Amino acid sequence: MRRIALHFGLLLTCAAILIPLLWVIRTSFLPEPMSYSPEIMPAFTLDNYVALFTSTRYGQSYLNSLIVAIGSVVVALPFACMTGYAFARFKTSGKGGRFAVLAIQMLPPVAIVLPAFTLFRMVGLTNSLTGLIIVYAALNLPFLIWILMGFFEGIPVDLEWAAQTDGATAWQAFWRIVLPVSLPGIAAAGVLGFILTWNEFLFALVLSGPQTATVPVALASLQTSNGVQIAKVSAGVVLAVLPLVIASRFIQRFIVQGLTFGSVK
Amino acid sequence: MSSIELDHVSKLYANGAYGVRDVDLTIAEGEFVIFLGPSGCGKSTTLRMIAGLEGITSGDLRIGGRSVTHVAPRDRNIAVVFQSYALYPHMSVRENMGFGLKMRGVARPVIEEKIKEAAGLLGLAPYLDRKPAALSGGQRQRVALGRAIVRDPVAFLLDEPLSNLDAQLRAEMRLELVKLHRRLGRTIVHVTHDQVEAMTMGDRICIMRDGRMIQVGKPLDVYADPVDTFVARFLATPPMNLLPARLEAQGDGLLVRGDGLSVEVPAMHRDAYAPATGREVIFGLRPEDIHEAPQPGFQRIDVTVVAMESLGVENILVGQIGQGNGAEGRPAEISARLSRHYTAAVGATVPLYVDARPMHLFDPETTRALPRPSLRVLGH
Ligand SMILES: Nc1ncnc2c1ncn2[C@@H]1O[C@H](COP(=O)(O)OP(=O)(O)OP(=O)(O)O)[C@@H](O)[C@H]1O
Ligand SMILES: [Mg+2]
Repeated sequence: MRRIALHFGLLLTCAAILIPLLWVIRTSFLPEPMSYSPEIMPAFTLDNYVALFTSTRYGQSYLNSLIVAIGSVVVALPFACMTGYAFARFKTSGKGGRFAVLAIQMLPPVAIVLPAFTLFRMVGLTNSLTGLIIVYAALNLPFLIWILMGFFEGIPVDLEWAAQTDGATAWQAFWRIVLPVSLPGIAAAGVLGFILTWNEFLFALVLSGPQTATVPVALASLQTSNGVQIAKVSAGVVLAVLPLVIASRFIQRFIVQGLTFGSVK
Repeated sequence: MSSIELDHVSKLYANGAYGVRDVDLTIAEGEFVIFLGPSGCGKSTTLRMIAGLEGITSGDLRIGGRSVTHVAPRDRNIAVVFQSYALYPHMSVRENMGFGLKMRGVARPVIEEKIKEAAGLLGLAPYLDRKPAALSGGQRQRVALGRAIVRDPVAFLLDEPLSNLDAQLRAEMRLELVKLHRRLGRTIVHVTHDQVEAMTMGDRICIMRDGRMIQVGKPLDVYADPVDTFVARFLATPPMNLLPARLEAQGDGLLVRGDGLSVEVPAMHRDAYAPATGREVIFGLRPEDIHEAPQPGFQRIDVTVVAMESLGVENILVGQIGQGNGAEGRPAEISARLSRHYTAAVGATVPLYVDARPMHLFDPETTRALPRPSLRVLGH
């Protein structure tokens, strides 16, 4: 009896999470006029997806998002690794420095977006993917530092000591031992940064133009151009969610792997 | 040529706690030295300072006569086997062992040759291509050792490398290490809190407590002549019996009198102990100096049996000798190491025979041993 109740509860929770998503997927395959139909699957068409790529700039935006999300993570990760490692191992910049990183993270984006806009206009980086990459790298940095600091703290210092007595410099110990050992952690952090950037809306809205719009901005513009074309928006949403699903699978794998298995007793 | 000298070395941690205080020790080239002490006494810290992984707060460290206080670990050519093994988890056994040579720019064929040699020595040949995660604890420990051996360092620092092995493997590895030392002829500093390892493996034991090195000497010397009650209790199981007593004059002899205890000081120690006549002392006698059968010179003592532990090779008798007016109001207890054939019922009162010649007296205030000539010098 209790088991049944439990499973019923679980089913309900799953349904609450899944049904809206399933409904969006269903709608994305319906012709526009039927999109509000109460029937489950009155028709099937790929027109929305085709239209998304032929009559809107969604394809361009999708590519922009990929470039910006991957680019910003690639730019931010090396800095985050080095800073996170320094924070984890040395007393560098003390508690103040660590708190500053956390504080930046907590700053509301609205507070930074306008100064960023002014600054970028001065140097001509508005409406450019480079500008977006720089902004997102900066936004990701504190977050990545914080996560990586945790990963590095979890790596036994004995490993580096062993490397140093084995003849490695501190830099070699970091590069040849700490980095490879924490690779799963770094990958997981990178994927999280990717997701964060992929979903970001405010900065993209303010700093991008028509050619440089990212997915969230493009979705928003779909809703406003000629009324709400719900089927087309649904198709856009389905495509927008796809990388997140893949990314979360990755994270799971990396985190489950464990970091230093076998190195210490 | 490559002796290791610790010249009044201290380590003060940032939080104001001492890791190591004023350690003064010279380790000769090729010597096998044991650091023994309870948890937290500073053994690992001392090792890390020798390896250069931890800064020295004051004092000087010399290797081969050259001060290395400010020399990086990589330039000291000392190999460390860490308490945690610290194998590189992303590298195979082969890569783990070759890493040190690779870092030093040794040619690949030479590295291969050395790995093969060390792997043969340690029985690791079948595992060379495995990752550490796929090895047992004992195999990991041998990899850690192999990683040190291939480097051919001036000294090996081993931080409790055997502590995680089961009793049998530990006994085997103990022997292996001793053989290895003989074959390589390199300096070894071996940290342990295992008394058997301490007694059997090294040329010298250094006993540490609270960051200080309180006694350094050959294992049997330290065993025979502990400097204080701590060393007396620490070095063996069951530990030395320590009983509060008073030293009294009796005729022209001396008598140790305590709760249920009355032992005549052997003539050989009379001169040394005479100045302490009339003072409170702690009487120390090892369990193996209490016997089940009388012999000339032995003194009888009556013991009420509290427990008998049969270890197979011997029986340990724990017995009560006092009436409860001893220290802290509890009756004084002693343990005696008797033959495996000895039996006595718990609760029975039995006579035992004390050989008082190896006895010690300690000052109850300072816990230090009252000086007397060593039996090992006297030739007993
Ligand atoms: N980084 C540190 N900061 C402050 N105190 C420390 C630090 N590292 C060690 N200590 C202290 O220094 C003392 C000696 O530590 P150490 O690790 O040398 O002990 P040990 O003899 O190796 O003990 P064990 O047998 O448990 O390994 C301990 O009291 C410990 O708490
Ligand atoms: Mg230790």
